[in-house]
Amino acid sequence: MADEQVSLASLLLIVVLGGLIIRYLFFPGAGAAAGQTRGPRDAQSAARAREAAVERIQQMFPQVDRRTILWDLQHTGGNIMATTDRILAGRLATPPVTFQPPPPPPSPASSAAAAQSAAAASKAPSKPAEPDLITRYNLQSKINSSSSSSGIDEAAVGAKGKAWSSNRDERQAALQRRRDDMILAARRKMEAKLAAEKGSSS
Amino acid sequence: MSLSTAQRRLLQEYRNLTNDPPDGITAGPVSEDDMFHWEALIEGPEGTPFEGGIFPAELKFPKDYPLAPPKMTFLGEIFHPNVYTNGVVCISILHPPGDDPNHYEEASERWSPIQSVEKILISVMSMLAEPNDESPANVEAAKMWRERRPEYEQKVRDGVRRMLGL
Repeated sequence: MADEQVSLASLLLIVVLGGLIIRYLFFPGAGAAAGQTRGPRDAQSAARAREAAVERIQQMFPQVDRRTILWDLQHTGGNIMATTDRILAGRLATPPVTFQPPPPPPSPASSAAAAQSAAAASKAPSKPAEPDLITRYNLQSKINSSSSSSGIDEAAVGAKGKAWSSNRDERQAALQRRRDDMILAARRKMEAKLAAEKGSSS
Repeated sequence: MSLSTAQRRLLQEYRNLTNDPPDGITAGPVSEDDMFHWEALIEGPEGTPFEGGIFPAELKFPKDYPLAPPKMTFLGEIFHPNVYTNGVVCISILHPPGDDPNHYEEASERWSPIQSVEKILISVMSMLAEPNDESPANVEAAKMWRERRPEYEQKVRDGVRRMLGL
């Protein structure tokens, strides 16, 4: 029984070893062939790794500038831990004037995704252009009307709108109304403030 | 129709927030069909560059709420040291007690079932007024806040105005 298990184990070992040997014999060729075409991409991924390392360190030590971090990373071979230790120990060397760090990626906030930036570039412009609140909650029509007709409405809504209704739809409507009112009130206030600023400056 | 513990709790919190809303906060489910997805409006605190602004945020609750905290994401632009550029809010009350990689947060500040949506929103409001310098989520904002305060405040004010469509 015990013998059988041992031989089963050694059989498995032989299979695994055999597999590794075959892999070793065939893989280098394939790897080298692929490596030739992958040259530029390796440089890109190295740059990406470097930026990710810089960003991680800067998150921990925002006071250390990028150039110093890059200089030190060059010395530690891109080892984040080693560089972190050196910063903590205060053993960080100032880079010589001749040291020219590679330029930061176009979007410093998402440097980890530097490779995706090309793909994101087409997507990015639509994202930062966040719709303002008026667009977001479809309040264009209410901007002008609310300031004039709010007098009666608010009194009626104020009594009803705040309390919890047992009707689900009423609750939903009341919540939406409170949201709209909050935005419109803020906008009116801001409008007045801007107008006042304009008036005082001219 | 039977409600799960989480749904019951969320409905209860929704009711409390409706009957007795804290100043400058409106919050509730986007639709009661899905109690795990809320939207909140937070007013910018007075006396800060965020004053006069309204900031919409989304709250996503896990199925095991209130054991685990919700995730909060600002939906519009907001430039703040503790808010990632994608809008995700990073404050201690949204972190579960076991999860503190930086070891600077008190356990009492972190999420526990005795916290609530209301407390989260109030915490976020005070976070707007006083950024936590120890855990920058937006490094650029943190740096500007620390080193070039007037520029930071101007940028925030510009954002506030843009959000209101002015």
